[in-house]
Amino acid sequence: MYKRLNELSFIIGLFFTIVSIILLIDTFFSKQVSGKLNLYTGIVFLVFGIFMIAIKTGKTGD
Amino acid sequence: MKLTLADYLVILVYFAFVLAVGFIIKKKIKSSNDFLSSKRNIPLWITSLAFISANLGAQEVLGMVASGAKYGIMTVHFYWVGAIFAMVFLGVFMMPFYYGSRARSVPEYLKLRFDEKTRGLNAISFAVMTVFSSGISLFALAKLLEIILKWDFDVSIWIAAGVVMIYTFLGGLTSAVYNEVLQFFLIVLGLSPLVIVALHDAGGWSNIKAQLEPQFTHAWKYMGSANSNPMGLHFMSLIFGLGFVMSFGYWCTDFLVVQRAMIAKNMNAAQRTPIVAALPKMLMPLIVVLPGVIALALMTPALHSKGFTIPVNENGGLDYTMTLPSLIAHYYPSGLLGVGITALIASFMSGMAGNVTAFNSVFTYDIYQSYFVKNRSDRHYLVVGKMITVAGILFSIATAYIAKSFNNINDFLQLVFSFVNGPLFATFLLGMFWKRTTGHGAFFGLLAGTIAAVLTHGLTVAEGKGGWIMDLYEVRSGMGQAFIVAGVSWIANFFTTILVSLATKPKPDHELTGLVYSLTKKEPLTKGKWYLNPITLGVILLVATIILNIIFF
Repeated sequence: MYKRLNELSFIIGLFFTIVSIILLIDTFFSKQVSGKLNLYTGIVFLVFGIFMIAIKTGKTGD
Repeated sequence: MKLTLADYLVILVYFAFVLAVGFIIKKKIKSSNDFLSSKRNIPLWITSLAFISANLGAQEVLGMVASGAKYGIMTVHFYWVGAIFAMVFLGVFMMPFYYGSRARSVPEYLKLRFDEKTRGLNAISFAVMTVFSSGISLFALAKLLEIILKWDFDVSIWIAAGVVMIYTFLGGLTSAVYNEVLQFFLIVLGLSPLVIVALHDAGGWSNIKAQLEPQFTHAWKYMGSANSNPMGLHFMSLIFGLGFVMSFGYWCTDFLVVQRAMIAKNMNAAQRTPIVAALPKMLMPLIVVLPGVIALALMTPALHSKGFTIPVNENGGLDYTMTLPSLIAHYYPSGLLGVGITALIASFMSGMAGNVTAFNSVFTYDIYQSYFVKNRSDRHYLVVGKMITVAGILFSIATAYIAKSFNNINDFLQLVFSFVNGPLFATFLLGMFWKRTTGHGAFFGLLAGTIAAVLTHGLTVAEGKGGWIMDLYEVRSGMGQAFIVAGVSWIANFFTTILVSLATKPKPDHELTGLVYSLTKKEPLTKGKWYLNPITLGVILLVATIILNIIFF
């Protein structure tokens, strides 16, 4: 996994996965009705993040 | 606007990632070439997204939403008349000369094509413009954070500048470019939920069209007369001023964006960089223009119950610049609010880092190495490049404080930029496509164009600005005035360059091979797959752009 830090797509995927986890955790503790927006956005970010992590682009991000 | 733990966590994660990118790239930086021009080794998808992200700074994101609210759907002309056509032209016709000449910067191309004085004029004006532009970005970010989050102005400036300095100092251009791609996704994905929710709240596009006056929802229909549209422009002024002079001048000659294509792996990738970038650029109005139009609709009596208003400035008028932050504050819950704020911070940092990396390349290659210290070791220029990065950031901070002290400094500087940038495309157009153009012609053409721009501004008035020589002609909007200034300066440059060139001696043909269209051997672009051919891709994009113009006519 350390070697994959050289891939930009992996870094972007990791970033969006972490942000999605923050949004999804916040959804569970939020009492706001508008928290649904966090849920939907969190799911989209998670899907995008996992997709970017799954892409194999080689060391230079190609 | 009050942030919670989740919001702060998102912002912290973003800062951690952009810094981490700098540390990861640092290991790969061995030479000045790695640091300043990425050794021409960056993949196409990264150069393409960095190409539009370098332009996705503060002026773009906040400015286009503000223009969407002020002028309506006409703002899309910046994309569907201006940017796309210019980006396709750059990819198909101009990149072969930039990339093929092996020049490391746009000013260096001017030296190869014309002479040292033309390069010097362009390099110095570009270096000054980028550092001021970076400073204005920084000022705008700190001001925004001060207004909407009540953060301390000084702390915001030093933290934002410090983060940009660390990752550009460590990883140079590659680090800036990698972060620009991350910032691009953050801006697009971070602002997309806002567009969806606000559009739904406003009752969809059909309801927006029903609520607003028709000139705000039609891009072309009311451009037959300057008095019948919000920009106060006739369509011919728009096509020439924005569509030709300003857009081509920016997208085809500004090293800030052209640099992203010049670091591609090969000629084909360099040509396709602006063309591939044109696809997301074509859709960008959904993120940066549509929110402004929605905000305008939400202010109408029928949608008053939604509770959204654009803030009022000290003069009692609508503060359009605050449209996007106000929409974020109105619609985003905690958590997503952090994403929205981070997207805004990312746009500012992206613009600033783009300016700083372009500044250090031009200063190191075209000013320091050309005029001060020649023929030193590569190590020397690497160290100088890093020092220039720090100096560029410090100059930006100083500019941000100057901007804070003088209310009109931003307007003034933007105006100066337009004086310098407006005529530039004429120099490149003639230089690349007319072999008779001389160095003297290019130099005096640029001077004449800039003087013409200054005089035109002094003789026209728009929204109380300009007319400092004589109130000869009144334009309805500042944007319309900018198009007219750019158009006049381009014409002055074009004809002065031709006249002076005809009176002076041109370079011999053998010195212009690879620099001028008629003297360059035309290679077959690609054999085989259509998506590798810049011309095919360009034609598809132009057709799609024309269709979008027809849909929103």
